[in-house]
Amino acid sequence: MTLVRLEHISKTFRQGDIEVHALTDINLQVEEGEFAALVGPSGSGKTTLLNIIGGLDSPTDGRVHLNGTDVTALNESQLSDFRLFQLGFVFQAYNLVPVLSALENVELIMVLQGRPESERRERARHYLDLVGLGKVMERRPSALSGGQQQRVAVARALASGPRLVLADEPTANLDSDNATALLDIMHKLSHEEKTTFLFSTHDPRVMERAERIIQLRDGKIEHDKVIADVQAQ
Amino acid sequence: MSATPRHGHLHPALLMRLTWRNLWRHPKRTLITLSSIGIGFVLAVFFIGINDGSHNSMIRNAIKLGEGYITVQPVGYLQAPANDKYLAEGGRLREQLLALELPGQVDARIALRVLVSSPYNSVGAGLEGMAATDQRAQMLKPFLMEGDWLAADDERGVIIGEGMARKLKVKVGGKIVVMAGKRGGDSEAQLGRVRAIFDSSMDELDNYLVISNLALARHFLVAEGADPASEPLTRLAVSLNDPDSLSEWTSRIDSKLGSASIAVLDWQQMMPQLVQFVVLDSAGAYVFLAVILVLIVFGIVNTVLMSVLERTREFGLLRALGLSRLHLLLMVFMEATLLSVLAVGIGWTLGGLVHLWFSHHGLDLTSMLGDSTAVAGTFMDPVVRTELSQARVLQLTLIVFLTTLTTGIYPAIKAARVTPVAALRT
Repeated sequence: MTLVRLEHISKTFRQGDIEVHALTDINLQVEEGEFAALVGPSGSGKTTLLNIIGGLDSPTDGRVHLNGTDVTALNESQLSDFRLFQLGFVFQAYNLVPVLSALENVELIMVLQGRPESERRERARHYLDLVGLGKVMERRPSALSGGQQQRVAVARALASGPRLVLADEPTANLDSDNATALLDIMHKLSHEEKTTFLFSTHDPRVMERAERIIQLRDGKIEHDKVIADVQAQ
Repeated sequence: MSATPRHGHLHPALLMRLTWRNLWRHPKRTLITLSSIGIGFVLAVFFIGINDGSHNSMIRNAIKLGEGYITVQPVGYLQAPANDKYLAEGGRLREQLLALELPGQVDARIALRVLVSSPYNSVGAGLEGMAATDQRAQMLKPFLMEGDWLAADDERGVIIGEGMARKLKVKVGGKIVVMAGKRGGDSEAQLGRVRAIFDSSMDELDNYLVISNLALARHFLVAEGADPASEPLTRLAVSLNDPDSLSEWTSRIDSKLGSASIAVLDWQQMMPQLVQFVVLDSAGAYVFLAVILVLIVFGIVNTVLMSVLERTREFGLLRALGLSRLHLLLMVFMEATLLSVLAVGIGWTLGGLVHLWFSHHGLDLTSMLGDSTAVAGTFMDPVVRTELSQARVLQLTLIVFLTTLTTGIYPAIKAARVTPVAALRT
């Protein structure tokens, strides 16, 4: 089943008198349960595309359909609710609220969703255990390493039960071991939770684990390749 | 998944947790802000307390020396005082007032404009007939320089001020003649003997007042045609134990005694000059309060705005995760609110202690004011005690609280304007 459908997405920025075409006529479909990577050099439009899919930015032209909803037709308040209930986000850095513990950070979205305390507490603990942070869940972000912080962000993204997790360069600030560990966790949870992951990267280690690689260059899709069985590689 | 996608809901417990922790993200900054607001508040409480204390002291003294909290007198007397305007049925009116069982004191008085003469000089004066138990008598007794207060059955005794004694060149034991013009052109004269001399340091009293018992003063009303059996008076002065009950008792007395010929007036109507003086003098206190508020505004703006500016990226993250603009606005506004609640709490705790101390021990202004504490026809106690009425406490709290709340609006709007993409790019 198609989860994300992009129709003729273009994005143009204006820098003074110059128009910069960040994305040009992007058409793309992402199926439910995919673990897909948007790859390409810096400035190729990866982050812009993720932001548009996630309703953080609006396209100049085109439509974004996510789980049957025309995201581009939503107003700001509807977009907030849409992100809250349908999407999970993992950013490159500064993913967590500094004044909340790891557990509270994971619970945050579920509180906003209005879930009962017992349910959200149980889910938060469960996902923190899954990402291997069961013993440090009471710590605040400042007491966690960069890799641990990204894992908390992954736990938070999944605990809220999203249809799609968007991750923008999630391993960019991590060393090799931490990057590999984070990707393994994301990949494992994608399969176990049957959650769709779409992430941007220019990190070859990430690309190795992707089941589909969408190559962007100069705001256009250059290649779109499905890799059958990544785990077998 | 048990949650049904509806609208984002910022649970009050989460809001409070975020607000509290954000406030203490930089404990030093918050403490400095709270201290500066707290100190400003303490100063405001102290100066306004002293201001109110000195004014209330003046008002109390003016009321005791003057005509009480509520005055019953002939209609038109206030606008055009004259000796032929009197309460013919003074005794009955007094009984009616006493029957109300009001919490306080009712004093019968006869106030007349007279000419006082000695063998050496004559001066215009105000004759005040009153009983020894009268509130005004109680106020003047401590000022006696020589002699004793009038005995209850003393029909000839008078007490005069030091200024008048000097002008008339009389001493205790000396004789004076008190004379008043009558309607129709005749005059009535009574002999008085000086029993005591007072010095209140207030020229209006020392140079002008002649005190007698009611019996001596009543001769002049009888000469005007009043029936002595009806115990004629010129006014009844009511003192209240609880000044806050003034309006209640004024209207009760007015409905009982007020008529086309009898006016029931409160002290503000009787002493408009004093009211005006207090209003003008209070302006200084309000200017001071305004300065304090400006300091508070800068303190809050500085703290909350700085904390907003340094959290732009975090706000972007929260917006991306699903917090609405309204949620962010509420969050930052709550921080300003909590800061103001803490500031007002600290302010009242410290201000309350300062107030307790100065309301008990007072501030001795003798060295500053010397003997001259006379102001606007009354006098101020040289040891001023801070006073804070419930209305003032409410007023101060509301002004500071609302100011701080208003101050929080700008940072809150600034936070709510954050767009996730721009903020996360910073």
